[in-house]
Amino acid sequence: MATNKNDRNPALMALTSSALLLPAYQGAQADAPPEFAEAGMQYSKYKEDDITAKKAFGFTDSTRQRFDIDVAQFHLLAPVLDDWSVAVDVAWEDMSGASPWFVGESASGDPKVIMSGASIEDNRTEVSVTTRYYFDRGNSGLSLTYSDEDDYESKAAAFDGAFNSADGMTTYSGAISYSDDHIDPTQGAVPTNTTSASKDIYSAWAGVTRIVSKRAIVRFGLSYTYRDGFLTDPYKFRDSRPNERKEWVASGGYRRYFEEQNSALHVDYRYFNDDWDVQSHTLDVAWVWDYSPAVTYTPFIRYYTQHEAEFFNNLAQQDQRYFSDDYRLSAFGAFSYGLRASRKIQNWEVSVDAERYRTDESWGVFSGEESPGLVDFWRYGIGLNYIFK
Amino acid sequence: MVQRVDHSFKAMGGPARFRMEVDDVGLADVAVTAAVAEVERLERKYSRYLDDSLTSRINLAAGTGQVVTIDAETAGLLHYATTVWRESGGLFDLTSGVLRRAWDFRSGRLPEQSEIDAILPLVGWDKVEWDERGVCLPIEGMELDFGGCVKEYAADSAAAQLQRSGVQCALVDLAGDMAAAGAPLQGAGWPIGIRHPRARDSAAATVILPRGGLASSGDYERCMEIDGVRYGHILNPTTGWPVGGLVAVSVLAEQCLVAGSAASVAMLKPAPQGLEWLGGLGLPWLAIDRDLQCHGNLLEAGSD
Repeated sequence: MATNKNDRNPALMALTSSALLLPAYQGAQADAPPEFAEAGMQYSKYKEDDITAKKAFGFTDSTRQRFDIDVAQFHLLAPVLDDWSVAVDVAWEDMSGASPWFVGESASGDPKVIMSGASIEDNRTEVSVTTRYYFDRGNSGLSLTYSDEDDYESKAAAFDGAFNSADGMTTYSGAISYSDDHIDPTQGAVPTNTTSASKDIYSAWAGVTRIVSKRAIVRFGLSYTYRDGFLTDPYKFRDSRPNERKEWVASGGYRRYFEEQNSALHVDYRYFNDDWDVQSHTLDVAWVWDYSPAVTYTPFIRYYTQHEAEFFNNLAQQDQRYFSDDYRLSAFGAFSYGLRASRKIQNWEVSVDAERYRTDESWGVFSGEESPGLVDFWRYGIGLNYIFK
Repeated sequence: MVQRVDHSFKAMGGPARFRMEVDDVGLADVAVTAAVAEVERLERKYSRYLDDSLTSRINLAAGTGQVVTIDAETAGLLHYATTVWRESGGLFDLTSGVLRRAWDFRSGRLPEQSEIDAILPLVGWDKVEWDERGVCLPIEGMELDFGGCVKEYAADSAAAQLQRSGVQCALVDLAGDMAAAGAPLQGAGWPIGIRHPRARDSAAATVILPRGGLASSGDYERCMEIDGVRYGHILNPTTGWPVGGLVAVSVLAEQCLVAGSAASVAMLKPAPQGLEWLGGLGLPWLAIDRDLQCHGNLLEAGSD
């Protein structure tokens, strides 16, 4: 350029120096806190199907009723100062119903569930506060969570960070968390395995996300969780579990945008493995269809399959050191499918969703005994979000 | 093996094009995605034609006393616009866009002085209240228009994004606002034709852009002729009338943004002062006056 740097015109110097303050001239783009505050509310209803007479002892409807959970959530996110945001999340849950107490052998020799009876009523309140700091190449957050219910208390802290590569194409993320949990089982409905116990949960996660082409993103993640303490279900009659559990999760995801369809395909896979011999595969597929700039429909389907824990038996072997007849530790397969729809109206966004979850031992890829306690459920939700702009 | 890759798309109300030389076409694909997204981000944020852009929100809040929150990038642009306003003696003014309400260059009709007088109170950068956190237009009907700098800024930002994505050699062209990140292997830079002000599609000159930005401003885009007098679309924010200075100006600078402002300010001044401003800056420039005479050192400095 013909400019002589020693003899620059003051007007040009003024223009250039004020232009250079703009982010485009300062290398990699800074992560920015959200531009606007937003608030949201969500109500969900989770309803388990009644257990069928074939699978449970008992003759009245009330002895076959399972769990109903009503959940109300409130979310607030606001930018503060220049480089920070604060989020507050509050959730209330109201649970009622019954869960399998133990599995016994029927006269015909089939395992059948004895339910705890419709006597469990519980409320849970959870409050979580997250502060996040945004810097040139990423952001970092610290969150504190407190959860309290009649018989359970949990205090947790988590720290996470995300860093973008210089070319802006790759994001590296990581998180660590710790949770201090305490249980004082409610006495009365069924005899409990303990009157007071606690556990610690340590978890670490690392992941990488990369833009691979014009319209596609891939991500990979690895996590490790260590649980230490009382891991037995205090309300189950025949349940005795190790005091330690080490869990690994490997996950991957792929997102691809289809311009002509105004849609994005999301495919996510997750592999779980632990030292109780539980393994699982989860495959999630969702089609996010922008029907119009304001309306989005997302049909989704999920497949889950699990290998049973080494100490699981329908008729728990109580002569062993560890035993459990909990259906959640059995081998099974599950499909869930549903639809989310959302609509933006100026600063508002309304969303509704419904999901059906069905499970069956025969749908799994791992063999094992069919637990009579396996559960199917419906979940419905409605949410409202508002952006203050 | 170096390959040439071209990507054309529409952005900011006009044709846009990336020209690149790359070893890896797959890499170019990824880089283009990120750079197009950057241009679209700036368009969504600053376009006055989009109802939910920041610009529209600022304009909608005019006269309500509401302060619209802004981010560091927007504060940077307002700071930059203030500098150009000051250096141009108040001629470059982001609030002057409202004068378009009086001037319809397709009508072939001059506005009444009373129409212009009714709008002039809405113009004036010194009336805008802003700081690093927010901006407030104090009078109902006032409008901010980032059109005078965002396209140039977007060209620079897209070029920087291409470079960050690993493209060492690229030219971004947003409807004539150019930003080069690295020169092609053959030749000293990117050859760019500068349009003749009165003849569409024919180049007045070819310049070579090795790096940095090139921006052009001209009143051949929108104008009307009444009783032999040519009225261009570049309006003086103080009088509300067309400036009637130079008809086309092109400037080369390290940043397309600075080149664009240098050219715009030259167009806003009466022709002799415009030429003086350009000569004083010390940048390569080319100006064409009403008699279609060419001025400036751009052809010697940049062409081969």
